[in-house]
Amino acid sequence: MAAVYAQAVQTLIDELGRLPGIGPKSAQRITFHLLKLPTEDAERLANAIITAKARVRFCEQCFNVSEDELCSICADPRRDQTVLCVVEEARDIIAVERTGEFRGRYHVLMGAISPIDGVGPEQLKIRELLRRLGSDTVQEIILCTNPNVEGEATAMYLARLIKPLGLTVSRIASGLPVGGDLEYADELTLGRALEGRRIVD
Amino acid sequence: MIVRQFELVDFRNYVQASLSLTDHITAVVGDNGQGKTNLVEAIGWMATMSSFRGAPNEALVRVGTDQAIVRAHVEHEDGRMLLIECEINRSGRNRVLVNKQRLQRSRDLLGVLRVSVFAPDDLNLIKGGPGIRRDFLDETLVALRPKYDTDLRDLDRIVRQRNVLLKQVGGRLSADVAFTLDVWDSKLAATGEVIGTARAELLRDLVPLVSAAYRDLVDVDVRIDMVYDPVWRRTGLAVALADNRSDDVRRQLSLIGPHRDEIDIALAAMPARTHASQGEQRSLALAIKLAAHRLVTDRIGSPPLLVLDDVLSELDPRRAAALLQHLPAGQVVLTSADVLPPDAGAATVLRIVRGTVVS
Ligand SMILES: [Zn+2]
Repeated sequence: MAAVYAQAVQTLIDELGRLPGIGPKSAQRITFHLLKLPTEDAERLANAIITAKARVRFCEQCFNVSEDELCSICADPRRDQTVLCVVEEARDIIAVERTGEFRGRYHVLMGAISPIDGVGPEQLKIRELLRRLGSDTVQEIILCTNPNVEGEATAMYLARLIKPLGLTVSRIASGLPVGGDLEYADELTLGRALEGRRIVD
Repeated sequence: MIVRQFELVDFRNYVQASLSLTDHITAVVGDNGQGKTNLVEAIGWMATMSSFRGAPNEALVRVGTDQAIVRAHVEHEDGRMLLIECEINRSGRNRVLVNKQRLQRSRDLLGVLRVSVFAPDDLNLIKGGPGIRRDFLDETLVALRPKYDTDLRDLDRIVRQRNVLLKQVGGRLSADVAFTLDVWDSKLAATGEVIGTARAELLRDLVPLVSAAYRDLVDVDVRIDMVYDPVWRRTGLAVALADNRSDDVRRQLSLIGPHRDEIDIALAAMPARTHASQGEQRSLALAIKLAAHRLVTDRIGSPPLLVLDDVLSELDPRRAAALLQHLPAGQVVLTSADVLPPDAGAATVLRIVRGTVVS
């Protein structure tokens, strides 16, 4: 089959199409939108990607995205040092922060237990979490993994691991859309889920 | 709930079609291969969000197009009109709109429109493997309480995760992995118990209705048993999984749980699968479907739309007549390749030719 588009255009479509949530049609639409942009606009976007990639790394303590060794939350002395909210992905922090209901710090697992995806506990930042609990001021852990099968299994795994350490372990209340992702929950629902968290026994 | 109208766009062999349903029987006739069953499939899709033939989405979208649309104009008991629109996409998520408002979770559609489809394949309820009987019970559960849809999909996901983990373990279980397997066992036990209890309770209510429906169809009083008694329910699934762990690890498969259960069906105390005649099996399958339809009608308070897809031609004339005579109240869509029997009582006969409603 002959190439429909010039090589450079096709390359851009292919690259965009590899992004999450972008199908072949959207990739095409975005490509042609980008090609119509003034050069400086396109360069600003390209530079934003390059700069973010060069500057942003993961917080050494909680694995949130950060420009420094510690993210802005870990570096903030006003955050409650006794409570830790455990989430699957850094983007979930944004969802929890939006609720305004949580003043503690976070720990990002970077995934959930899912044998199908080849992810076991050892692929997650669980060892790092345990290290934090061993040497930190943390007294309560809130398990804020997604309310789907993998998130629930991960929460149960962590609860069983952490409870013997004598910490309070709680799980966000149900009421979140079942099978959903935390990032899609609205502030009010997630806020209520945090407020109504229950102690895991 | 009354379905006033169905519309199909780019569904299977239909470019566009619209059909109005009557309050009771609407007949759809046409030669085989013209699209009668496709129509039934579209109607059924709105109720279960899946093809009753087990076809994937891309098979439902007309060749050369990216999206099929199925619409229903539904009138509720309280007089409210609902416009339900489903966009079935060849790739990507389906979208469901009710009165032009998109449902955040498409699966919230379940329970809005209930449909019972009777098809010649129902014979497999008796002759087929245990999976067909499990699926039938589970679909009935969802029709009764849509929340079971979440439990069933969780169960399926948990079993798949657990099976992959058992494969990864490769027959040798370390302490670390045993700790992870414990978690999956707890998840499987919790969801499995919910499903097991629901199935048992459903069957308890269903069996008397099956006996009554069978009597209606064949006019003989015979004992019918449908027994759901998996061994794990005697100890509880958590205990059974623990007891069976070494087998699961060795065979690298989840060998017990609701996903492996059987429902034993007996006619006159003999296994219907092996001991009943073809005619008895067909009547029994039909009686089971009728019973489920009646149970849902009783519980929900209004009958699901009943679709009889090419069912009459499979029955001998006496049983076909008995079925027509005992049709439940409510809307019925009846498809047939042949001329309808005079006692079918259809108020409207629609004719399908090559994916078009000729009326
Ligand atoms: Zn941090």
